[in-house]
Amino acid sequence: MTPSPLVLDGLVVGAMLFALGLVGILARRNLIVMFLCAELMLQGISVSLVSWSRHHGDWGGQVLVIFVLTVAACEAAVALVFVLQAFARTGRLDAAAWQSLRESNLPRVVDHELPAVDTVPPKFPRLTPAGIEPAADEDAVLEREHV
Amino acid sequence: MQAIAPSTLLVLVPLLPLAASILTVALGRVLGSRAHVPAVAGIAGSLAVAVVLLLGVARDQAAGANGHDHAAQPVEMVTTLWQWAGVGDAAAAGDVGSAATSFSIPVALRLDPLTATLLVIITGVGLLVAIYSIGYMHHDPGYPRFFALVSAFVFSMTMLVAASNFLLVYVFWEAVGACSYLLIGFWYAKPEAAKAAKKAFLVNRVGDFGLAVATFLLWMTYGTLNFHDTLAADGSPVPGILGATRLADATGYVGGLVGTAICLLFLLAACGKSAQLPLHVWLPDAMEGPTPASSLIHAATMVTAGIYLVARTAPLFMACPGALTLVSIVGATTALMAALVGTVQNDLKRVLAYSTISQLGYMFASLGTGTLLGFTAAIFHLVTHAFFKALLFMGAGSVMHAMGGVIDMRRFGGLRRIMPITAATFLVGALALAGVAPFAGFFSKDEILAALHSRGWPNAHAEHHDAVPAGGHAAAASPFGVATLSSAAGSHVRPVAHGAAGVAPAGPLDALDSPGTWRLLFWMSLLTAGLTAFYTFRAVFMTFTGPTRVPDEAGHHAHESPPVMTIPLVILAIASAVSGWWLFSTHALAGFLASTPSFTAPAVAATATPPAFHWNLALQGTLAAAVGIVIAALGHLGRRSDGPQMERFLGPIGTLFANRFYFDQIYAALLVRPLEFVATLAALVDRYVIDGLVDAVARAPFGLGGIVRHLQSGLVQRYALAGVIGTLLIVLALVARATG
Repeated sequence: MTPSPLVLDGLVVGAMLFALGLVGILARRNLIVMFLCAELMLQGISVSLVSWSRHHGDWGGQVLVIFVLTVAACEAAVALVFVLQAFARTGRLDAAAWQSLRESNLPRVVDHELPAVDTVPPKFPRLTPAGIEPAADEDAVLEREHV
Repeated sequence: MQAIAPSTLLVLVPLLPLAASILTVALGRVLGSRAHVPAVAGIAGSLAVAVVLLLGVARDQAAGANGHDHAAQPVEMVTTLWQWAGVGDAAAAGDVGSAATSFSIPVALRLDPLTATLLVIITGVGLLVAIYSIGYMHHDPGYPRFFALVSAFVFSMTMLVAASNFLLVYVFWEAVGACSYLLIGFWYAKPEAAKAAKKAFLVNRVGDFGLAVATFLLWMTYGTLNFHDTLAADGSPVPGILGATRLADATGYVGGLVGTAICLLFLLAACGKSAQLPLHVWLPDAMEGPTPASSLIHAATMVTAGIYLVARTAPLFMACPGALTLVSIVGATTALMAALVGTVQNDLKRVLAYSTISQLGYMFASLGTGTLLGFTAAIFHLVTHAFFKALLFMGAGSVMHAMGGVIDMRRFGGLRRIMPITAATFLVGALALAGVAPFAGFFSKDEILAALHSRGWPNAHAEHHDAVPAGGHAAAASPFGVATLSSAAGSHVRPVAHGAAGVAPAGPLDALDSPGTWRLLFWMSLLTAGLTAFYTFRAVFMTFTGPTRVPDEAGHHAHESPPVMTIPLVILAIASAVSGWWLFSTHALAGFLASTPSFTAPAVAATATPPAFHWNLALQGTLAAAVGIVIAALGHLGRRSDGPQMERFLGPIGTLFANRFYFDQIYAALLVRPLEFVATLAALVDRYVIDGLVDAVARAPFGLGGIVRHLQSGLVQRYALAGVIGTLLIVLALVARATG
C-alpha cells in the first residue's frame, strides 16, 4: 500500500524537524537553544508517529504522541531548572564551560576564549519574606513593660 | 593390671587449670589485680587431686607387689574420654589380616606411677610458681595474661604426661611449646624477648619434626598409636605400643633399622624440647621471659618432657642398643659442654639456664644406660631437679626483683645482708645442685653415676646381680633375664630382648655400645659434677658474699622480697633439702616407678638391681663437688664480684666458653645465612618476576584504554555526535541487511 500524499508530507516535515534539531544540538552551545533543539527533535518524531498512525489507520500512534507531549512538558520544567542552576553557578549558558568530566590528563577544548565572567553577581529583586513574625516595635515593648 | 576407681579424678587434673585459664582470659579485665585467683585456685585443686591419685596408685602398686613377690607388676588405668578420630574399617576390609590398620585416635588419659609422679611435680611446682608470681608480676600490665598462660601451660603439661596416645602426646607437645613461646615473649615489646621467643619456637620445630615423623613410623610399624591395648571395631584386640600384651611379648618391639630410626627421631624430639646438643641454643635465650615462667617451664617441667618421652618409650629404646647408647652420649656431652659454658657466664639466670641444660644432659645420660636403675635415676633426678632448680630460679628472680631488674652478677654483691631469706634458700638450692650430701641432688646424682658405672664396669656390679633373689627375675623374665644373671665377662649387663629369639638384625649404631664408651661417659659425668659445683658456688659467692653493692637501678629500696615470694622459696628449700634423702633411703620412688608399664617390659625389668648405696661413687662425686666448691671459694668468696674474673686464667679456652662454643655463630653461618640468602633471592624473584607479571596483566587494559581515552573530552556535543554516528551505523547496517 503506497502511503497517501498527506502521510508522505507529514513524514517529510517530521524528518526535517528532526534533522534541524539534530544539527542544532550538535552545532549550538547555548544550553537553552540546545534544549529547544532537543524538543524540536522530539516533535519531529511525534509528527512522524502521527503520520504513520494515519497510514496504518491505527490510533495508537496518536495516543502515544499525547503522552509524549505530556512527558515533554514535565521534562521541560526539569531541564530548565538544570539550566537555571547552571547559569546561577557560572553566569554562563555555554555548554563548553562544562568540561570537567573529561579524562583528567586531556587538555581543555577551547575553540575560542570564553568571555570573562562578570564577577558582580546579578541583582535579583528581593521579595518581602512572608510567614515570619515582624520585628517588634521597641517603644511599644518598653511601654508595656512599664505598665 | 589394676583398676583404680576414681577415673574421673584424673580428668580433673588437667581440667581445673584449663577452666582457670579460660576464666582468666574471659574475665581478665574485670579481675584486674585479682587475676591470680583462678590460676592459683585451679592449680591448687589440680595438685590436691594429683596427690590423691598418687596415693591411690601407690596403694594399688603396693597391693600388686605383695601378691607377686619381687617382680614389679604393671599398674595402669586408662580412661577413654571420647573418640577423636576413627577412620577406615571399610578401607581395611580389603586388606587381609589388617584389622589393626583401622585408624582410631581415642582421647585417652592414663594413670600409672610415672604419670602420677610427674602430675604431682608439675602441679606442685606450678602452684608454688603461681603464688610466687603474685609478688613477682605485681604491677605488670600483663598480669591477667601471665596467669592465663601459666594455667594453660599446666593444663598442657598435665595432658602431655597423662595422654595415652602418641598423637595426643604430639598435640600437647606442641601446646607446651606454644605456651613456652608466649611466655618467653611475654614482654613482647622488648626486641630481645621477641627474638628469643622466635628462636625457641624455631629450634623446637626441628625437634617437633622428629616427633611427627616418629609418630608416622610408629603407625606404619605397629599399626596403632595407643599406649594401651584396645579393641578394634570387630572386637579383636589391638595390642597398644606400650600395652600389656606387647610388653609381655619378647619379640614385640622392632629393632634394626626401623626401630633405630624411630628411637633416633624420638631422641631428636627430646633434644629439641629438653635443650640437648645440638638443639640447646634456645634455652639460654629463653631467660628473656619472666623469671617465674623460666622457673616453671624452662627449668622444672617443660624441658623434662624429653626425659619423659624417652622414659615412656623405654621398651622401644631397649630394642635398639645403639640408639640408647647415643642417648647417653648426647646427654653426657651436653652435660659437660653446658657446664663448661656455665663457668664463665656473668648473668645469674644464664648460669642457671646452662646448669639446667647440663642437668638435663645428666638425665639423658642416665636414661641411655638402659637399666631400670638408669631410668628410675633419671626420673629421680628429674624430681629433685624440679625442686632445686625451681628454687634457684625463683631465688634469682627474687634478687632481680630487688635489684631493679639487674641480673648481671658483676653489678651487685654481698646481698646476704639485704636479703637473708633469699640467700639462705638459694644456698640450699646450690648445695642440692652441687650434689653435697645430704641435699637432694647428691642422692639422685649418685644413682646416675651408679647407672653409668654399672655399664662401664659390668663385672664390678655383677655381685649385686647375684645378690638378687632368684625368684624375682625368673618370674618376670625367665627366657630373657638369663644373660643378666650369668653376667659373663665382657657381656652387657642389659640383655637384648630380641637376641634371645635369634632373629634380630644388628642395629646400625650398636658399635657404639662398648664398655669403653661407658667409661668415657662416666668420667665426663664425674667431671661435670665438679664443674657444676664450681659454677653454682661461683654464682653464690658473687651474688651473696663480698662487700654489699647494689646497682643504681635498685634505687634506695633494695629489700627482701615480700612473704608471698619468700614462702614458696622456703617450701622448695625444705623439699630440696629432704626429698633426696627421703626418697632414696626409703627407696620409695624407684620401687614405685618400677611398676610403670614401660619399665615392666622384660628387657627393662630384667636389669633391676637391689637398692644399693655405692660408697666409692658417692666419695668420688662428693670429692668432685668439693674440689669445685673450693676452687670457686678461692676465686670468689668474699671478693668484689666486679673484680678480675677466673676466666683470665683460662686464656683462649675461656673465650671459647664465654662465646658458648660459638654454637650461635656456627648456626648463623651454616643455616641462618644460607636461608637468608635464599629468602632474599625469593624476595627478588617475587618482586621482579611475579609482581612483574601481575603488573603486566594490569597494564594491558590501561594501555588499551589509552587508545580510546581521547574520546572522553567532557564536551556534550562530542558525545552527542558519537551517538548520532553510532545510530547511523546501526541504521545503515540494518538497511544493508534488509536490502542485501
